[in-house]
Amino acid sequence: MPKRQDIERIMVIGSGPIVIGQAAEFDFSGSQACKSLREEGYTTILVNSNPATIQTDREMADIVYVEPLDLATIIKIIQKERVQGVMSGMGGQTALNLCSELAETGALERLGVELLGSQPRAIALSEDRELFRKTMLDLNEAIPKSKTVNNIDEAKAAVPEIGGYPVLVRPAFTLGGTGGGIANNERELEDIAGRGLIYSRIRQVLIEESVIGWKEFEYEVIRDGNDNCIIVCNMENLDPMGIHTGDSIVVAPAQTLSDTDHQVLRSASLKIIRALGIEGGANIQFAVHPGTGEYRVIEVNPRVSRSSALASKATGYPIARVAAKIAVGKTLDEIPNAVTGKTCAAFEPAIDYAVIKIPRWPFDKFRTVDRTLGTQMKSTGEVMAIGRSVEEALLKAVRSLEIDRIGLEPEKWSSEEIERELARATDIRLYVIAESLRRGMDPTRVCELTGWDRFFVRKITNLIGMEDELRKHDASPKTIAKAKRMGFSDEYISALSGMSENAVRDLRRKSSTFATFKMVDTCAGEFEAETPYFYSTYERECEARPSKNKTVIIVGSGPIRIGQGIEFDYCCVHGALAIKEENFDAVIVNNNPETVSTDFDISTRLYFDPITVEDVLNVIDKEEADGIVLQFGGQTAINLALPLQKHLKGRKTRILGTPPDSVDLAEDRKKFSKLMDELGIPQPKSGTGFSFEEVRSLADDIGYPVLIRPSYVLGGRAMEIVYNEAELETYMRSAAKVSKKHPILVDKYLTNAVEIDVDAVSDGTEVYIGGILEHIEEAGVHSGDATMVLPPVTLTPETMDEVRTITRKVALALKTVGLMNLQLALKDGRIFMLEANPRASRTVPIISKATGVPLAKVAMKVMLGRTLKELGLTGEPNLGHFAVKASVFPFLKLTGVDSILGPEMKSTGEVMGIDREYPAAVWKALTAAGQRLPKTGNVYISVADADKPVAAELASRLAGMGFGVYATKGTATAIRDKGVSATTVYMISEKTSPDAISVMRKGLVNMVINTPTEASGARRDGYMMRRLAVELEIPMFTTIKGASAAVMAMEHAAKGDTTVSDLASFHGQPAGSSD
Amino acid sequence: MKGYLVLEDGTVFEGTPFGFVKDVVGEVVFSTGMTGYQESITDPSYCGQILVSAYPLIGNYGVSRAYSQSSRVQVWGYAVREICDHPSHRLSDRSIDSFLQEHEVPGIHGIDTRELIRRIRDSGTMMGGITSGDPGAMVEKVKASRRPESSNLVSMVSTRDTIPFEREGAKRVVVYDCGVKENIMLELRSRFEVVQVPYDTPPEKVRELEPDGIFITNGPGDPAHPEMVSKTVAALSRLKDEYPMMGICLGNQLLALMLGAKTFKLKFGHRGVNQPVEFDGGVIITSQNHGFAVERDSAEDAGLDVTFTNLNDGTVEGIRHRELPIFSVQFHPEAHAGPMDANFLFDRFKQMLEGD
Repeated sequence: MPKRQDIERIMVIGSGPIVIGQAAEFDFSGSQACKSLREEGYTTILVNSNPATIQTDREMADIVYVEPLDLATIIKIIQKERVQGVMSGMGGQTALNLCSELAETGALERLGVELLGSQPRAIALSEDRELFRKTMLDLNEAIPKSKTVNNIDEAKAAVPEIGGYPVLVRPAFTLGGTGGGIANNERELEDIAGRGLIYSRIRQVLIEESVIGWKEFEYEVIRDGNDNCIIVCNMENLDPMGIHTGDSIVVAPAQTLSDTDHQVLRSASLKIIRALGIEGGANIQFAVHPGTGEYRVIEVNPRVSRSSALASKATGYPIARVAAKIAVGKTLDEIPNAVTGKTCAAFEPAIDYAVIKIPRWPFDKFRTVDRTLGTQMKSTGEVMAIGRSVEEALLKAVRSLEIDRIGLEPEKWSSEEIERELARATDIRLYVIAESLRRGMDPTRVCELTGWDRFFVRKITNLIGMEDELRKHDASPKTIAKAKRMGFSDEYISALSGMSENAVRDLRRKSSTFATFKMVDTCAGEFEAETPYFYSTYERECEARPSKNKTVIIVGSGPIRIGQGIEFDYCCVHGALAIKEENFDAVIVNNNPETVSTDFDISTRLYFDPITVEDVLNVIDKEEADGIVLQFGGQTAINLALPLQKHLKGRKTRILGTPPDSVDLAEDRKKFSKLMDELGIPQPKSGTGFSFEEVRSLADDIGYPVLIRPSYVLGGRAMEIVYNEAELETYMRSAAKVSKKHPILVDKYLTNAVEIDVDAVSDGTEVYIGGILEHIEEAGVHSGDATMVLPPVTLTPETMDEVRTITRKVALALKTVGLMNLQLALKDGRIFMLEANPRASRTVPIISKATGVPLAKVAMKVMLGRTLKELGLTGEPNLGHFAVKASVFPFLKLTGVDSILGPEMKSTGEVMGIDREYPAAVWKALTAAGQRLPKTGNVYISVADADKPVAAELASRLAGMGFGVYATKGTATAIRDKGVSATTVYMISEKTSPDAISVMRKGLVNMVINTPTEASGARRDGYMMRRLAVELEIPMFTTIKGASAAVMAMEHAAKGDTTVSDLASFHGQPAGSSD
Repeated sequence: MKGYLVLEDGTVFEGTPFGFVKDVVGEVVFSTGMTGYQESITDPSYCGQILVSAYPLIGNYGVSRAYSQSSRVQVWGYAVREICDHPSHRLSDRSIDSFLQEHEVPGIHGIDTRELIRRIRDSGTMMGGITSGDPGAMVEKVKASRRPESSNLVSMVSTRDTIPFEREGAKRVVVYDCGVKENIMLELRSRFEVVQVPYDTPPEKVRELEPDGIFITNGPGDPAHPEMVSKTVAALSRLKDEYPMMGICLGNQLLALMLGAKTFKLKFGHRGVNQPVEFDGGVIITSQNHGFAVERDSAEDAGLDVTFTNLNDGTVEGIRHRELPIFSVQFHPEAHAGPMDANFLFDRFKQMLEGD
């Protein structure tokens, strides 16, 4: 069928900020969809609140809205842009839910808009548990016995009907399994089902027969409007049922299914996608009983997903791109296979390698969080690795994770710990399995405890065997060649054999054991492929050929984790595009399957490989590149600067941009302090202590409060602000270890200072200030978590000038070529230097989106030798609008984390609110970040003494808008003194009714303002109250300045409706005019 | 021990022998299927060939009686990247290594199979050999060898006896066994009373069996081999006006020849489970294993409808006679290995015999 001619304007809804369960994969799918639709000649209107996405680039979509993703906003944009069709399946659960709402509220009909791709009926059939169950039963497809319930009593009654405990609790319409869990008894059921009912959009949960321990498989299916169906890929979870697939180690293709097993699941998949009437991509999960082979259909996602992104990268088959074309009426046989260029999209990829995905968990940041994995996803990102064997792919994946592991090396676990950790799935189970086998545990026992198939346990045994060979024997070239083929890095071989890495490399050279590169071509070599998508392995033939063209390599940012999100991928993509604009070949090395940078469309050549010195050097050796760029890929890439500089001495390939020594200079506290002194830029007092005594006297000398940063963390928070010696002692006792080897850094903490972020580009002579951002919260909140505004709203012109002067001075002193980020603090009219980072920062994308100047592209071109003047960039952008960045946090999904903001970053993602009026921009940003500010109701206020005057004033303004006020004793008194009535609530420790928890549970509180106080009992009370607010999803502000901004935004919203504007209307320049 | 796979162009791959250790010469072909190794190596159509699996991990789920497509390993040699000596599957009763040993078929693992496949893809199917001896000598032997299809390979894999399979109340189908796969027999037997006969059964003998229809199976080699033409094609030609007929794979080619079309050898064939085939405006994914194909122009000239077309290269995947109840497909609707998308074709044959 040809594409549809009756529509012209199509809306693509993005997935919003990065949260656990929805990461960069939907930037990838949305970007592909936009490209695919534009290719077909449609006008695309993209809506997403996340500025750090490629899809919100004006080069991707015709019209871009960075606006909150809520129904009202979507409807406004549909009307304004005369949208005719809305893509339902490209923006994850967020977009799918919005599309369901559009359908259910009758908005589609009223606006004369239709959903493209999966239709409301298909969405309802897959997402509504009861409808799904009925459909599967009609099809004669086995599903776990289950019952849909709408309250706790029904849940309890359902258990005996489905065969007793344990049971699985699954809320309807949530993402990443939010609120689900396994209940082993009635008490757990009450707890989990109670939460699940709250999280479900339709207040519905499913009580289900447990298939825990069964094997889990996923099928990626595509169907077109002509009823043609194909399977793109199947995948096998190493972890059995019971662990969210997003938290499972996954291998593609499935390894332990016979052809008959596979065909049974394949046929079932086709039958199901046909019955559901899905048009586009879908994902079907199966549980298979290891002993009998019987299966159950677990779940269908009627949209592209994290798994489909993985399947796309694992096979080379661009699922989202094809699904977008299907949505506008094309059939699979009409869509070309972009990889081979010869065949069409109607085929099933054949691959000739194994792919392993390992999730990246945030437990290194959140040390107090329960690491147990279950049906609630906890990972923030993932890595993928490709190898010619499972062992090779597995080791490559492990070293891609950046968790300080070079392989499967053990930690100091006791035998009891090993038994326990095998049975309990956590982030470390893979390594515990390896250690259990190393200590000689019977593999059958390992299988029993872990639920892993013995095929995979045996693969780990093979790796342990290789470790032994390397340890025991004189590592001969033959042994090393064997180890390389199994995926061992030189560093790992060196650690095991005791040889230096250089010696290992020499031996390899002698036996000609070099990395070769094979192509990912969708067809296992059957057809000649055009797509230069490679992975390294140790084979005979290398398929990668260096190009005659000038070539620049960009090193990516690896898995998404807290502190290193999608922003860096955004910069890498822009770098690659800029290189191509300059007519060079752009090569990307990265290992994150979710991202746009690993879409083979972006670079000239893509190497899907770990980011270690060895792996990157392999690519350099093959490419003979002219330059390599390390400043876009966050800490992942910048960490390679010094070692690579050593290796590249005397070679053709140069590190482009700011010299590695400057990076070192900026990171070395001593050297940097000296530089600041020379430049006359003040810094907060600081020092390094090697013993508790030293730390104490340093703190005394510097003056409290101080910021304490241990280099070795025992548990709990790594960084903390302490206000007096007593607190220091408590902290040192419980949280930190100090010794000659593990010093502690002590910095003066500037109270009530305003923090400022600056991003600039320098060509070595000139400095272009891309943007100056003012933090809305006071200094001390990590800049990754802080709410910020561009341009600043409280800084004087003099301060702004001084910021500019400092930026220029530091950029030139650091010999910056490319990007630089500064973090400054304004205290009593003086500007202090906190940090200088001569590399891409988290704020580059938001500044680029706010100003229309693509900073990363500019930086790349400057690194390639252009001058800022040539690029037409002088001065600073003059903005007639405000852009506010707000952060989103994983508190809901990670029980055990306090939601107070501090010097340690906790957020997973960010949103931007952009508007001509500052309060409106704040309102949009907070709304988009999920802080749905109330229009009526009650506000609960409990603040520290210092915040009471401001809190009272806020209370008075809130009362003026009609809000009722609850407050704790002291705060209530301060509020009443202002003439505003407030209901006193008590701390739990006071044991007097009403207490904060009970009023919140009763649903009486619609917003919380709570700044932490050290008053006795308050800490624990505060924590419990904040946890509850998080779980009930009540908007909450934990800094007084944050609360003030929110109240200001609420006042603005009360005045009337906010308007929506597309990005171009703020910039007033055509899309893509970067030079 | 070292093992070698050599090609007629002189390329030598060094690996490790597995299975039965002996020298073998055959036509080197590759399959891209990621599952179904056991079904492939027991498929009689591979007679005369050394099979290379593109998927690098072979033997993961072991070998099970349930999956064999004939009573023995049919490939003459098997080349893979890695064999699994620790299979894991509820039905597995042995490893791929012991299976090949048992059937005295040599294998080689540890070679760069992707390089080998790319070479075959670029140069076309080549003769090759597996040896654990001197690779240089093997190259010479391979160069001097004749293509296996110059022999009548079907005669090596066809049944020697006529074997009846009763089924009460069902139509009777005579199956011309040119090297039939077990699952074709299972599909037919679930619908018909089946009489399996040798590939060279004369028409009189068939008439004596009083069938309602005739089925021509898959099999190895060149359909235009003189003996196939003089025996099977000639017999079918004399039966064509009397009985409805269905053919699969080699059966498709033999029917095409019988109806006046021509066949030719593909550069490197279609072997895998992911081949897209267009028919009736739709697409199905099919299982395939063939080195020869029906020439499109000759089929059209012979007045045949080309009912199925390969979407990758446009080759003929199925034909139908315009008047007579005769149809055939190049791919494998019985699957094993591969998708079951085309299973309905057996029902179509049944409807044909039952007069729908």
